Amino acid sequence: MKQSAYIVGTGIISAIGMNTASCLASLVNKTPGIDKARFLQTHWQDELPVAEVKFSNEDLAKMADVDQQWPRTALLSMIAAKEAWLPFQETAKGLRTGFFSANTVGGMDLTEQFYPEYLKDNNTGENAMFVNHECGAITELVAEALDIHDFVTTISTACSSSANSIMMAAQMIGNGMLDIAIAGGADCLSKFTLNGFNTLMILDKQPCQPFDQNRRGLNLGEGAGYVVLMSEKAMQQCNAKAICTLSGYANANDAYHQTASSPDGIGNKLAMQGAMKIAGIEAKDISYINLHGTGTANNDSSEGKAIEQIFGSNIPMASSTKAYTGHTLGAAAGVEAVFSVLSIRDGIVYPNLRFETPMEDISWQPVTELKTGQDIQHVLSNSFGFGGNCSSLVFSKC
Amino acid sequence: MDLYIHSAGWISAAGTQKEDGFLPEAFSYEGNRLNAQEPDYTGMIPPMQLRRMSKVVRMGIAATRLALKNAGIEQPDAISVGTAMGCLQDTETFLNKLVTQNEQMLTPTAFIQSTHNTVAGQIALLLGCHGHNLTYVHRGHSFEHALINTQLYLQQHPDQVVLAGGLDELINTSETLMQRAGVYTTESVKPEYLLQQSLNGTVAGEGAAFMTVSLKPSANALKVEQLHLFKAKNIEQALEQFAALGFENVNADLVVFGKSGDEHTGLYNELQQQYFSKQPIAAYKHQTGEFGTSSALGLAFITEMVQKNIVPDQLLIAGEKPSSIKKVIFINHYLNHYSCWVLG
Repeated sequence: MKQSAYIVGTGIISAIGMNTASCLASLVNKTPGIDKARFLQTHWQDELPVAEVKFSNEDLAKMADVDQQWPRTALLSMIAAKEAWLPFQETAKGLRTGFFSANTVGGMDLTEQFYPEYLKDNNTGENAMFVNHECGAITELVAEALDIHDFVTTISTACSSSANSIMMAAQMIGNGMLDIAIAGGADCLSKFTLNGFNTLMILDKQPCQPFDQNRRGLNLGEGAGYVVLMSEKAMQQCNAKAICTLSGYANANDAYHQTASSPDGIGNKLAMQGAMKIAGIEAKDISYINLHGTGTANNDSSEGKAIEQIFGSNIPMASSTKAYTGHTLGAAAGVEAVFSVLSIRDGIVYPNLRFETPMEDISWQPVTELKTGQDIQHVLSNSFGFGGNCSSLVFSKC
Repeated sequence: MDLYIHSAGWISAAGTQKEDGFLPEAFSYEGNRLNAQEPDYTGMIPPMQLRRMSKVVRMGIAATRLALKNAGIEQPDAISVGTAMGCLQDTETFLNKLVTQNEQMLTPTAFIQSTHNTVAGQIALLLGCHGHNLTYVHRGHSFEHALINTQLYLQQHPDQVVLAGGLDELINTSETLMQRAGVYTTESVKPEYLLQQSLNGTVAGEGAAFMTVSLKPSANALKVEQLHLFKAKNIEQALEQFAALGFENVNADLVVFGKSGDEHTGLYNELQQQYFSKQPIAAYKHQTGEFGTSSALGLAFITEMVQKNIVPDQLLIAGEKPSSIKKVIFINHYLNHYSCWVLG
């Protein structure tokens, strides 16, 4: 990377808040967002808790100032991207700006409402219910509304999706193809994903307990998270102040199983090592690891062992924030990128909620209390998923 | 952009890449849907695995096998895939059961294979490739973005080889819904239909094309010199964008158009008159049908045309066959997404 990619802003919406400030307050106050679904209409409403954003589509559309017929993922994306972009929108005129947004669910929330009628008669139902089904349609709705055209793309690599959009954004700023990028991802809850994960028997019927010996699975969540990356030139023009840099990134494949991680976390290890190599740092330099930490038996064990292999007996502070936000899939790495940036900015490390019993197959434990006044130099953020896709990002103090 | 394409492999409605020759005989039809003519997968995919694979996955694996074989390499260092719609068949299978069984007694197989990164993941799994692995799902630019990702990756890993490809499958529901949305025609048409503009939509297609790509030239490699992407609401906007590219100064041996018979197809006639009246012109979608990653198929065909120095009769639509194909201009669109390539 020839030029540094500085992170100058954030935008987020999740079950624990409608913007950066409210999500941070929930993290600090140990207030999780996992509860019974109110807006997702599903057979599993009473049995499977989720981390739902606490507003209807109608309310979200009002907040975003867009059409309420948009898929929910686009509404969430718009709110978070707007928060990230608004402070720079005016001053960025003339600079080449990109929008990199990941998602896995596209417009499925509407398609699954449309489909029962369609099955009865191919000609029924409104076209508006399916025309934005594609993942790319979500990104384009938001990019159009934000008036960003220089480069707009959508990545879908399951749970690691938005780490890859942040990686690509940093690369394109690094080699001078763009001056500014808003990068991250979004995903809403849908019956499709909830039932899909339920068939895999990896959903926790209680609030999840990442990295606990007695963990039972994950809770699905929804939301969107973006960071604004800028070149030095763009920062000068926008009078923006760098919070940190995106100094390292790597994407690797576990090549083990379509949905399960290899026992030793080969892909996890390659992603973490690759990201630190690009950042030009060593394992001992990492101050905090924002874990993928879904709460499934398989993930936490593989990730835990991979970390042990890399860091040995000097494991840095580490925690999963999914006990707050649930697993937001295509949004997860975007949401956690925002948390990583705030960790550096405020010198804090978030507690891994609901941790009770140390895991037997690893030698280390996550941080369980809020740590403040820390000098956080480098944060490693992990995102691993289906298809063997593993990505890690390194955020560094300027 | 300085990428070199060393080999290509594909599955399409016009047939699968063959060792001898290039495309099979001209493909004539009367209809509004072109399904891929799938090959005998024996020898390309183990039978046990083949049974579990949806069409898009097996097409992707087979196209990968062909591209790697033609390049004489066993394993790429990284994988970069574009798919506009992803794994539609498995998505619908799971959705259908979810709806008809009221969210109960569901099984995971279709869900597992419904994620957009399934093909890239399966390729990695089959080849044991632990490298960089990405899937782009950005409508008519999905494959193009996979190629930009290839460039970004190779800039940091200049000695490596990336497997890049684009693919989409067609299912009854996507055909019906895209007819309702006006993308695909409901009329029964002949191949010539796709070479002229109409307001009734294009012909539904599907296919897969993969290529081996690196930064290093080789004797038979096709260089991607330029790739320009833009969106345009109509032909006028597209012409404006096109005017800024300076293609009139490129001395091409062959121009390839992504004529699809839809409302944007009139653009190509304008371009032919304004810029390419003296060059031979080829088109391909009248043999393959249209889909979000059809440009991958177009680029694979061009790679083959340049490497074998032939333009198949059924693809040539204007001018004389060039005696030597070195420089090619490729202009494509899928709905309002355009891509313009200089290759040589």
